[in-house]
Amino acid sequence: MEVTRLPLSATQRGKLISTGYTSLSSLSSATSSDLARDLNITEREACEILKVATSTSSPDKLDGSHAVVNGAKNAWDMLHEESSLMCITTSCADLDSILGGGINCKQVTEIGGVPGIGKTQLGIQLAINVQIPPYCGGLGGKAIYIDTEGSFMVERASQMAEACVEDLSEYSRFLHKNLQACQVEIKCKDILENIYYFRVCTYTEQIDLINHLHNFILEHKDVKVVIIDSVTFHFRQNFDDLALRTRALSAMALKLMKLAKELCLAVVLMNQVTAKYIEGSFQLALALGDSWSHSCTNRVILYWNGNERCAFIDKSPSLKPASAAYSVTSRGIRNSDSSCKRNKMM
Amino acid sequence: MSALKSLERYYPILDSHFQSFCASHGIFTAEDFLTHDLYVLAASAEQQPTAERLKEGIAQVLSIIDEWHRPWLNGMELLEDAERNKHVLSTGIEGIDLILGGGLCQGQLTEVVGTSSSGKTQVCLRMAANVAKNHTGKVIYIDTGNSFSPQRIESFVARNSDPIYIQARSNIIQKVMSNIVYHSVFDIFAMFDVLHQLENNLTSQVLKEDCKVLLLIIDSISSLITPVLGGSGSQGHALMTTAGVLLKKLAHEHNIVLLVTNHMVGGEGSNLKPALGETWKSIPHVRLRLSRNNGSNVCNLSVLKHPAIASSLAATFTID
Repeated sequence: MEVTRLPLSATQRGKLISTGYTSLSSLSSATSSDLARDLNITEREACEILKVATSTSSPDKLDGSHAVVNGAKNAWDMLHEESSLMCITTSCADLDSILGGGINCKQVTEIGGVPGIGKTQLGIQLAINVQIPPYCGGLGGKAIYIDTEGSFMVERASQMAEACVEDLSEYSRFLHKNLQACQVEIKCKDILENIYYFRVCTYTEQIDLINHLHNFILEHKDVKVVIIDSVTFHFRQNFDDLALRTRALSAMALKLMKLAKELCLAVVLMNQVTAKYIEGSFQLALALGDSWSHSCTNRVILYWNGNERCAFIDKSPSLKPASAAYSVTSRGIRNSDSSCKRNKMM
Repeated sequence: MSALKSLERYYPILDSHFQSFCASHGIFTAEDFLTHDLYVLAASAEQQPTAERLKEGIAQVLSIIDEWHRPWLNGMELLEDAERNKHVLSTGIEGIDLILGGGLCQGQLTEVVGTSSSGKTQVCLRMAANVAKNHTGKVIYIDTGNSFSPQRIESFVARNSDPIYIQARSNIIQKVMSNIVYHSVFDIFAMFDVLHQLENNLTSQVLKEDCKVLLLIIDSISSLITPVLGGSGSQGHALMTTAGVLLKKLAHEHNIVLLVTNHMVGGEGSNLKPALGETWKSIPHVRLRLSRNNGSNVCNLSVLKHPAIASSLAATFTID
């Protein structure tokens, strides 16, 4: 039954099948008034159903050898287009180097770690770094910060933004080899203005917000990063129906993937850890289990190595598994080498 | 798949009188004939004043339905088809090829299942690069998690390439990579669209010889099915089974190697089992399980199900 593969509600589909409209050709030859009469629905609803049916079954013309599937690209074109793929620096050179330049756009990156390791700090740093202007090598974009735990501290963001502006003027002086400090146009106030902050308090609010992000971003065109801190918080408590939770989470994951791909932005998800009983002992594992672990393109795990904070690439299609150390300073995320005075921005 | 109304155009005997007679029995389409009791229908037709015409109409519909079933094949024809059309394509990974008798077979749906970061995407990328490099034909890569990496493909293709001249090498890499077609889908209906489009293009034979599709990869099909599976109503199950049937049909009719990936979920105790449940278990022809030792590049592959090879055969290979 071809009609089952149309994205319609169950009642609409049931009505279509019971009145004999089981194939796309039968729908294409029906008018909306016929449909409305046969299915006992309003004419507007019938028009919508017909629109869905015709958009799915339009036979597109073949043009050229790689239109085997319309809307497809071939790998060679993608390779060359990706050389202009932008990354968002984390302000820590070691971390950037294991990430291949920074957090990639068009991909969903999950960052997980124990409480206190610096996930929120990294999130705020990325929200600031995405705004680094293109003449300093950044993306010059805006950020969306979705806070589910209430851990975003505006004073801290302001402190890190100040530090970023200072670093940028020092860097542009280095770049232009001037002795005077170059006036960088961006100011701390502008940086804070370009972070769109949302606070969500329940999982329904979270799902609703993610559904509306696409339209929001189309209206505010320069958004280049969406940070969700943390994505799993509301799904861990008070969820009686685990099957519903899995469905909601996987649907959310697909929407985020689509957002990242279509709007060319980076999606960064923070996740918490939980204790899991594996192979006879309790080990730390990321929350929400195995199905959620497939919902990201890259995964970075933050952990303590003695007294040092380290990051490890756990999952990536193209990066080697590697780890790097970083530290959280008053100026933000930086290299952990305390002897390194200059912050290498690019 | 046709309502009686649309058949009237071609077979005038199925006129509105016939249609209203059938409607009174709850029959609106030709398929409904298959699910209703034909004896009751014939008996009821006998009692109508226009019995003869109605019975002619019924006979006409039954003969239309007869034309729809696929032709019978005998064993020799199947064997010839297998020898001529269903070859084994190497995956590019020696360890896997060794236990699978050369690689993955055309006409079969192969599933690779494994936990997160166990190497499933790497196997898909390797196979795509290998098939594109060693055979003429297209590779279609359908990605749901933005994990397709053209850089990895390039590194696989460039490896062991014979020509030493940079220009010739670059031309070869370009030619090979142009044959890998990439599409991203983010919900199951979009995947159906892509598959149906592909099916239409392949059956209408508009494509030239070098546009033959050799390999179709869906990474991963479980992330498309999990959001719709379960809950009230069985639509999710129906979509999953329809997808399986469509994929196997594409594989068999057009001699394509079909490779899909699946993830694992918690089972009883602390055992992991493949996602998508019991119904999906019987859909792929071949099921392979991947796992990777923590922190190393070595992957283990074991055969969960294969029509020609013993299960629980295992192999290891490295990702580099």
